[in-house]
Amino acid sequence: MRNKIRKKILSLLLAGILAAGLCGCGQEAETQKTRVAVIVKSTESAFWKSVFAGAGAAATEYNINVSFDGPAAEEDYETQNEMVRRAMDDGVDVIIFSAVDYNANAEIIDQAAQRGIKIIVIDSDVNSSQVSCRIGTNNLQAGIKAAEAALATDDEELYIGIVNYDVNSANGQQRELGFRQTVEQDPRVKNITTINVLSTTEDARAGAKEMLLSDSRINVVVTFNEWTSLGVGWAIRDLNRADRIQVVAFDSNVVSVGMLETGEVDALIVQNPYAMGYLGVETAANLMNGQTGGPSVVDTATTIVTRENMYEPESQKILFSFEEEGY
Amino acid sequence: MKKRKASLSFIITILVVGLVTLFLLWSTFFFLSLYVSSMKQAAQTSSEQAVTQASNAISNYIGDMQEIMSLIEKNLTKSGEKSDQTLETLCNVRSDLVAVYIYDEQGRLTDSYTGTHTLKEHYLKDLSYIALDSYNPDVLYLSEPHVESLLQDYYPWVVSVLQELTGADGQRMRVVIDIRFSKISDYVDNVGIGQHGYCFITDSNGEIIYHPQQQLLYSGLKKEATAGLDLSSNGSFETDDLICNVRSLDNCDWKVVGVSYISELVTAKEMELLGNICVMLTIILLVTMLVSFLVSRLVTNPVQRLIRAMGEFEKDAAGYVYRPVEGTMEIEALSQSYEHMVRKIQKLMNQVRQEEISLRKTELKALQAQINPHFLYNTLDAIGWLCEEERCQDAVEMVNALAKLFRISISKGHELITIQKEVEHARSYLKIQNFRYKNQFSYDFQIEEDCLQYYCNKITLQPIIENAIYHGLDRMVDEGHIQIRIYSEGEDVIFRVEDNGVGMSEEQCRSILHKEPGDNSGIGIKNVNDRIKIYFGKEYGLSIESELDVGTCVTIRMPKVEENAAAGWEKV
Repeated sequence: MRNKIRKKILSLLLAGILAAGLCGCGQEAETQKTRVAVIVKSTESAFWKSVFAGAGAAATEYNINVSFDGPAAEEDYETQNEMVRRAMDDGVDVIIFSAVDYNANAEIIDQAAQRGIKIIVIDSDVNSSQVSCRIGTNNLQAGIKAAEAALATDDEELYIGIVNYDVNSANGQQRELGFRQTVEQDPRVKNITTINVLSTTEDARAGAKEMLLSDSRINVVVTFNEWTSLGVGWAIRDLNRADRIQVVAFDSNVVSVGMLETGEVDALIVQNPYAMGYLGVETAANLMNGQTGGPSVVDTATTIVTRENMYEPESQKILFSFEEEGY
Repeated sequence: MKKRKASLSFIITILVVGLVTLFLLWSTFFFLSLYVSSMKQAAQTSSEQAVTQASNAISNYIGDMQEIMSLIEKNLTKSGEKSDQTLETLCNVRSDLVAVYIYDEQGRLTDSYTGTHTLKEHYLKDLSYIALDSYNPDVLYLSEPHVESLLQDYYPWVVSVLQELTGADGQRMRVVIDIRFSKISDYVDNVGIGQHGYCFITDSNGEIIYHPQQQLLYSGLKKEATAGLDLSSNGSFETDDLICNVRSLDNCDWKVVGVSYISELVTAKEMELLGNICVMLTIILLVTMLVSFLVSRLVTNPVQRLIRAMGEFEKDAAGYVYRPVEGTMEIEALSQSYEHMVRKIQKLMNQVRQEEISLRKTELKALQAQINPHFLYNTLDAIGWLCEEERCQDAVEMVNALAKLFRISISKGHELITIQKEVEHARSYLKIQNFRYKNQFSYDFQIEEDCLQYYCNKITLQPIIENAIYHGLDRMVDEGHIQIRIYSEGEDVIFRVEDNGVGMSEEQCRSILHKEPGDNSGIGIKNVNDRIKIYFGKEYGLSIESELDVGTCVTIRMPKVEENAAAGWEKV
């Protein structure tokens, strides 16, 4: 009897030592680097470059592999869908997505989500319930800010021309909605005209010019993204109407900043693309680490920058990217 | 039952494990605190080194700017075209130089060298000029970081460096060099303190000049961890989580601040170490437990065997056979001593027993030697009476019988005699008694011839016959008869004395076997029984069967003792 107990104790001790030994040399499983695909509307504009820079900074910080992709044309949802499909086939963990088309991109995003890929939307939304987190400008609010900047003019009668981009793009429509809701309350506003152009400088330039020439009363022009802003700026410069027309444009670009200084553009609604990119990847990292329960909507701030305050220290920080080399 | 005390093995194990645990905990604590303080020291040193390295590099860079300034001064003193060329080339060649601006004493921009970029025709604001009340020509003035505001379509973040120089014709001019952060970032970004530690540059007001994560700070995504800390004095200090190291540059009012994380440099390593130590501790403890358990068993097992052996000895001292206990040297010494003791005790016990037996034998012999005086007197009386009646023949027979009786009684002091002699002794006794009792009883012997050669205790039959006569036949009216039979039964010899006397009650039988002989009887039946048992063992001896008015039968059992063995039996 006693001998049995002793044997038991002995075997327990041995087992304990063995277990401790095993624990000691138990290798730490090397974790696969999280892979994130950032698929956005375009890769060319300063806005998206800044997004990529932010994403790159977060990727370095969180030790994540990030790839950047976007169609050549900002209306090309099919190419974007193809890019999502490729990312799915590559087996990425997270897709950070900015939709060209609110509805046309929805199906592929749902498919990706079904495969277990986490979806994070930045800047422009997609019609999917599978999105883990939406990061970007509160577009309605941005539209309202644009309206405030537009109404800052002294003119007594306002004829407003809106140069918006693709009608299927969620953020453009939201901004226009916010803008219209606000300016319609102002009695000075007599007329609002909207044209939709392709999201290129040239198309916007031509469209804006045509609009301004067809209705010479227009004394306020509003436009909602970087390329159309440049187009509108060029159109104003071409028609030499910088002094007459209050122009509210979006996003910061070397050219549009120059136009702000020279007067073709009177106010820029500046978003925080760097933050979108950074927060997108940061959220991806958190999701992959199993930290759920973060906010499902993150609002990155927008700021109105005018000629008067553009060289204030705070505006400089918002307007001009510190990282000139891009990503 | 008394409470069981803890075993030695258990106590040793607990004691050793406890001591080892205590020692390990103490040394772990000591070692850890030593480790932490040395890690902190190392972290501070490495932080200090990193900051020194960065600040030296930046000092050199500022020195570089000074040299450029003196180069510009040299060029300005030369005439026109050539100096312009040199400065343009300088701006083109040095990627970190964005532009060189020259202002007059009123702060008006008089000249500019902008490399590949063009100066704006109408600029909104000039952020490069540093407006001060007075300028010291020996000092380089550095601006806060700002966006280059004078160039077309080019808005890099720059720092302006201003120095007042003297031109060719003696007029004073203020030269501004706008420098990009590319070089500075090379110096600062590559400084790593631990995995996440970093350096940044502030001016004397604590405004950040350059930070590796400047864009994150500008985008409002992060705040500098040292914001709110007093970085005005040089040297290093610690907060709960940070080690900060501040160092002013020699040739300007910038400071380089190194920030490293205690959690990363110290705490994480401490935790890792602690984890390792815990694993080691567990292993050591387990091994200690095992070893002390085994060691204690090494000690206690033989002790327990010894205890068991002692227990056995306690139970049966005489029959105990010693088996040596193996173990350590001490245990074996103990075991040997114990063996010695056991042997001694057993020897002593034997000795005592032997002495007791010999004492008893001596005692019994002394009794044997006694002659019942009544018997002698009566016999002599009878002989005297025979002589008086001139029955010489009878008297001679009586005297012979008596003589034989005594001779055999003495037997030269031997205890064991042949059965033949014993029978003669009995015959002599019966002859005398029969004569004395005037043939009131008859007797006969039935003896197996083979038995005569064996030895038996002397005076075995006589007391029994005496008892038969006195208690059985004496009071009889009819003629009594005594029959004596001696025969072998297996390895034993049986003596059987039967009479047809009055018999005895059971109580009488018992008392005869146990009571000491009275004065009148020389050697009692008890004496016979005792002697046989002492000499041959308990299984031998005497038994009495008796029935009132029928008779008594006394049976004596003895082993067959050969002549050569008799001496051994008799030896005391």
